[in-house]
Amino acid sequence: MKAKNIITVILLCAILGGLSIYAYVKPQTKYSYAERRTLDTFPELSIKTLLSGDFMSEFENYTLDQFPFRDTFRGIKTFSEEYIFNKKDNNDIYNVDGYLSEMVYPLDYKMLDYASNKFKNIKDTYFPDSDSIYLTIVPDKNYFLAEKNGYLNVDYDKMFAYMQEKNDYMKYIDITPTLDINDYYRTDTHWKQEMLPQTAEMITETMGIDISNEYTEVQVEQPFYGVHCGHYGLQVKPDTISYLTNDIIDEFNVSIYNEFKEPVESTVYNMDKLNAEDPYDMFLSGVVGLITIENPNATTDKELVVFRDSFGASISPLLAQGYAKTTLIDLRMLNSVMLSDPDLQDSINFENSDILFMYSTIVLNTSTSLK
Amino acid sequence: MLFSSIPFLFYFLPITIFLYFICPKVLKNALLAIVSFIFYAWGEPRYVVIMIVAVAASYLFGLLTELHRGKWLSKLWLILALAVGFGMLCYFKYADFFISNFNGITGLSVPLLNVALPIGISFYTFQLTSYNIDVYRGDTKAQKNPIDLAAYISFFPQLIAGPIVRYTDIEKQLKHRTHTFEKIAYGSRRFIIGLSKKILIANALGELCDIFKATNDNSILFFWLYGIAFSLHIYFDFSGYSDMAIGLGSIFGFEFIENFNYPYISRSVTEFWRRWHMSLGSWFRDYVYIPLGGNRVSKLKFIRNIFIVWMFTGFWHGAAWNFIAWGLFFAVFLLLEKFLLKKLLDKSHIISRVYLLFLVMVSFILFNATDMKDAIITIGGLFGYGGHPIISTEFIYYLRSFAVIIVIAAIGATSLPKMLTLKLMGSKVKIISYLEPVFLALLLIMCTAYLVDGSFNPFLYFRF
Repeated sequence: MKAKNIITVILLCAILGGLSIYAYVKPQTKYSYAERRTLDTFPELSIKTLLSGDFMSEFENYTLDQFPFRDTFRGIKTFSEEYIFNKKDNNDIYNVDGYLSEMVYPLDYKMLDYASNKFKNIKDTYFPDSDSIYLTIVPDKNYFLAEKNGYLNVDYDKMFAYMQEKNDYMKYIDITPTLDINDYYRTDTHWKQEMLPQTAEMITETMGIDISNEYTEVQVEQPFYGVHCGHYGLQVKPDTISYLTNDIIDEFNVSIYNEFKEPVESTVYNMDKLNAEDPYDMFLSGVVGLITIENPNATTDKELVVFRDSFGASISPLLAQGYAKTTLIDLRMLNSVMLSDPDLQDSINFENSDILFMYSTIVLNTSTSLK
Repeated sequence: MLFSSIPFLFYFLPITIFLYFICPKVLKNALLAIVSFIFYAWGEPRYVVIMIVAVAASYLFGLLTELHRGKWLSKLWLILALAVGFGMLCYFKYADFFISNFNGITGLSVPLLNVALPIGISFYTFQLTSYNIDVYRGDTKAQKNPIDLAAYISFFPQLIAGPIVRYTDIEKQLKHRTHTFEKIAYGSRRFIIGLSKKILIANALGELCDIFKATNDNSILFFWLYGIAFSLHIYFDFSGYSDMAIGLGSIFGFEFIENFNYPYISRSVTEFWRRWHMSLGSWFRDYVYIPLGGNRVSKLKFIRNIFIVWMFTGFWHGAAWNFIAWGLFFAVFLLLEKFLLKKLLDKSHIISRVYLLFLVMVSFILFNATDMKDAIITIGGLFGYGGHPIISTEFIYYLRSFAVIIVIAAIGATSLPKMLTLKLMGSKVKIISYLEPVFLALLLIMCTAYLVDGSFNPFLYFRF
């Protein structure tokens, strides 16, 4: 009994003391790639911050952010939740056969209304007479995983029907028959470009445009740890990123408008982004408010304007093959009122263009991000 | 500062233990008082002053009470001591309750004070007042050393959430206590168990309760799940904290009284309150119930005494009508048991346990309600009030997601794990006994992991 007491005290002291000492001496970590955010550093210590209590609350955040082996401990928590307590999800992330997904729940009709009103407002302001307006909704991974595996999920049929009803001036393109769970990255929210030719064809066919369906698939060498890897906490097998190219796509002239005014020449696939925090950003350089793609090999003068979220970044190069010019607008980054900005007038042409609103279910259900 | 936090576990506690054990014996109480004030100041620095004033007043009036023992002045000093203690408690905790009710009755608009409640004031006020009453009664001598009294009141393990340690229980330990490896090991074990009860079980059940409160997909069964989850949550939260306090006390050489004794295995409300928050129950018994005459009075006065004690017990928990109703709810059933139900409950183990668990669940729904209306709606929801369906999608999902934790909690609320542990410890296979430290170490690592994950705060934009 005496020996057991000694072992108990030594073991617990070793854990508490060891981690304490290491926490004092370890260098501060500035950034968490798992969370895509800057970590708190040691707070300002002064009489003022002590008396106000600010130091204490910031110190607590600092100790949590800078805790030794932080990601390992987060992994232990995920393991406990999943394998000991048999919790269905951990921080809303769940794992089905290696596919990580974040629950989208509940269905928020206010958000759908917000998005629909935003779309209507844009239509009335910029292309009131157009009859070439299309809507397509990109299902998130939960569409394929949640219900049959017992996870909370929005009623997708209701969501799609509601959006069609609220946006009845748009022609709805149902792309769900062209998709299944294999078309998505296991560790990331997004879909895989190499699996999208059929989806792209369905969209362009509905808009009366022909595109090439012959591509060369290029696989990126480095492993792709999607955004859910960091959220999940446990080690999972990485994905691989592939991208599609052909003679038409190779010739695209891409301009991005970071400051929304002066265009900067760019590329369809930005290889520098593969080493950034979110490698999916390689498709059309990631989150950018305004991008134009000019197609010198186009057999038509017709243009396409796509209002899109990040799902649109990977499919748009395929759609752009059928148009002389494709303009991509991300309303999360570019306020819709800026579309009338004289400096942008030359870049965006709504007249006689096909207009496509392409948004994922995730963004539509949290649509206040649309400006 | 909370025990279940990284700053406490990995900064405050190791430094305090280190300093305590290298500190000369004569300075140990002073050190405990200083670190306890730092511990207290961590949450709300300004309120340390309140506590120092309370301790100083109690100390002074204690000395004066003893000095004039047997004279009328002695009673005056006691009254002043109680006035200071309860006055501060009333000002910080109850003033707005009285003002808002006064406004409600008179139609006036007396502005609310909106003062923040100093952490632990309900606990340390009761400790201080019990000290002064005990000195007045001659049950103990007044403490001459203000540092020892400050160490007793402010001692961080029991400062925030009890147990309400009586001065008479700890008086000798303040001067003469032993520090042994056995006590430190026992304290560490008890602390880790309490920490695990709080972090791994209570917090998870609390999360389920929060989900229920936020849901738009309610059902009758979801109300029941909430009632069960909250009953278990509050037990594991509170008893976990008491375990941590008792464990920490043991590490520093003190022996605190037990605060919980498997209350959910009780077979009556009477038994439940002998097992739940025992230090509060005994405080009210010794300082309110017995002075009122206890049960050695007429039936009518006995009923009055029960209602007074339980009204105050409810009111002690919070300045709102639902807490008063909660206390009176128990008063009613204590009286019913005394006069009607006792024989009936004695007949069947099953009926009496179901009866107790149901009543306790209803009481805790009342306890956790935002107001009386919320309480009525939620208790009514158990029986279909509100027109909810019997079952809902969210109920099914969360039942499946929390089933293991609920089962662990339900078993853990009984004496079964303790019996099993004792049996294993007594096993001839010695290795089982030695697995305990490993198990405790794993629990500590798991608790740390849950605390660290609490800081997980992904930048949501990148989801899309």
